[in-house]
Amino acid sequence: MEAIAFTDVSKSYGDVLAVDGLDLSVRAGTTVALLGPNGAGKSTSVNMLLGLLRPTRGRVEVLGRSPDEAVARGEVGAMLQSGELIPELTVRETVDFVRRLYPDPLDLDEILAMADLAGLAKRRAGKLSEGQAQRVRFAMAVAGAPELLLLDEPTAAMDVESRLRFWAGMRDYAARGRTVLFATHYLQEADENSDRVVVIARGGVVADGTAAEIKAGVGGQAVHFTLGRQPAAGLDALPGVTAVGIQAGAATLQTTDADATVAALYRGTSLEVRDLRIAGADLEEAFLTLTRES
Amino acid sequence: MPFGYLRIELLRMLRNKRYIIFVGAFPVIFYMINANLWGTQTIEGGVKADVFLMVSMGAYGALAASMMSTAVPWAQERQSGWLRQLQVTPLPNATIILTKLVSALMLVLPALLLVILAAVLTQGVSLTAGQWAALIPAMWLGTIPFAALGLVIGSLLPVDTAQPVAMLSMFALALLGGLWFPPEVMPATMKEIADVLPSFSYADIGWHLVSGEAVPPSDAVKVVIWAVVLGALAVFGYRRAVTRA
Ligand SMILES: Nc1ncnc2c1ncn2[C@@H]1O[C@H](COP(=O)(O)OP(=O)(O)OP(=O)(O)O)[C@@H](O)[C@H]1O
Ligand SMILES: [Mg+2]
Repeated sequence: MEAIAFTDVSKSYGDVLAVDGLDLSVRAGTTVALLGPNGAGKSTSVNMLLGLLRPTRGRVEVLGRSPDEAVARGEVGAMLQSGELIPELTVRETVDFVRRLYPDPLDLDEILAMADLAGLAKRRAGKLSEGQAQRVRFAMAVAGAPELLLLDEPTAAMDVESRLRFWAGMRDYAARGRTVLFATHYLQEADENSDRVVVIARGGVVADGTAAEIKAGVGGQAVHFTLGRQPAAGLDALPGVTAVGIQAGAATLQTTDADATVAALYRGTSLEVRDLRIAGADLEEAFLTLTRES
Repeated sequence: MPFGYLRIELLRMLRNKRYIIFVGAFPVIFYMINANLWGTQTIEGGVKADVFLMVSMGAYGALAASMMSTAVPWAQERQSGWLRQLQVTPLPNATIILTKLVSALMLVLPALLLVILAAVLTQGVSLTAGQWAALIPAMWLGTIPFAALGLVIGSLLPVDTAQPVAMLSMFALALLGGLWFPPEVMPATMKEIADVLPSFSYADIGWHLVSGEAVPPSDAVKVVIWAVVLGALAVFGYRRAVTRA
């Protein structure tokens, strides 16, 4: 069954097109990373899955129903990108309150353990650090044992150690056969914690596959040279080139075959190529090339 | 209604120091000071001032409880994202606002009873059983317009505006409604304003009850009209606050 289905979905805020013709479906039981830079449309997509936003066009389905229905039935749990807690309530009170709103929740102690909160249960939310509050919000998201768990940049305020424990908790939850979708900026986080990575930029999918496939696709090598004021047209048509990035007169061609690309660059174009350099593609750089504004 | 939601709403207000001072302590302290200054005087209608003041300060405490537990906390929850976090749980929107209203009413009761208790214990105020049985429910449910006003403010304004607006409304309602100075000593224009305010009609019901007089029907009608108007505005404001773009 499809846990998530976006069918030709667009969402605009006034004249800002945040999501542009998104088609995406996620099979139940998988863990998917929604990877993209700031403003790519990750939160907008997640909020449409929760019924917090309505698509301008197209259809969004969650577990075969409308988002509102799925939320009302307690089949979805979510950690939004931002949100504060009630400062006067303790961690335990907060999480227990939320879990009791669901028809068939997890056991309270189990939730606290999964979110690494056992030692903080009696602390008032107002006295938590940001990273700790983030863990409470994760606990609230899993409390109701939802079929679908949505996490929007869940590790934003966490230190290295908390991140590791957080992802362990998330994988623990996913291992129960639940569907998880999380948004992130970090390729490495996406790589280490998901079955499938969907790269989105400018409101649409630009790459989709397992982390290894994405890496292979954008991996290869990178050809750097100084383009100056010469036109960039045609660079993307050179043999082997998978992506073209131009910044301040410097061109970066991601390629699967550096030799063929360089040969064609000299023989097949009339460009004056200076400062040519070939490097193994840095993954982060490749990701940036993939998602950069063209 | 999920009892758990009501429970945390009450808990967190009762743990808020500012709230406890404003709502729990101030009305009782004002009552004690005033009752000790003027308590033994007899005012028109033959009722003693400490009884009259019990209604005034009880009304003030109830007014403060109903507005302070609604306006600012509610604006904060909207702005801080807590409300959105509730909206992605199975809790229905209608239950959220209804629980807010009920919890505000539950919080009114101790504020009101504290002043009454102070009056009975320190000033020896005594009323007939029938008077108590009419006074307490009237002064309790009569706060519905104020709780609704608090929710309207919290739904429509951002926190930093809701805070002063709620405070000003509360003090204006208390002052112009005659809770701090009896309306008899007000200048004529202020009296006219008092006459249309829900706070005056609300307290006036109490003043009549403790003097053993019949409650003027116009008072009750005015409170009900205010409750309906502000209640409708609260629903409108709430709809606006939770509308999905
Ligand atoms: N309420 C809004 N009004 C106007 N524009 C908005 C609104 N919310 C988002 N946008 C715009 O929509 C686009 C997508 O935003 P979105 O929040 O979905 O991005 P994101 O991928 O979650 O980014 P980030 O990584 O920064 O969280 C951005 O260009 C953003 O400026
Ligand atoms: Mg976002």
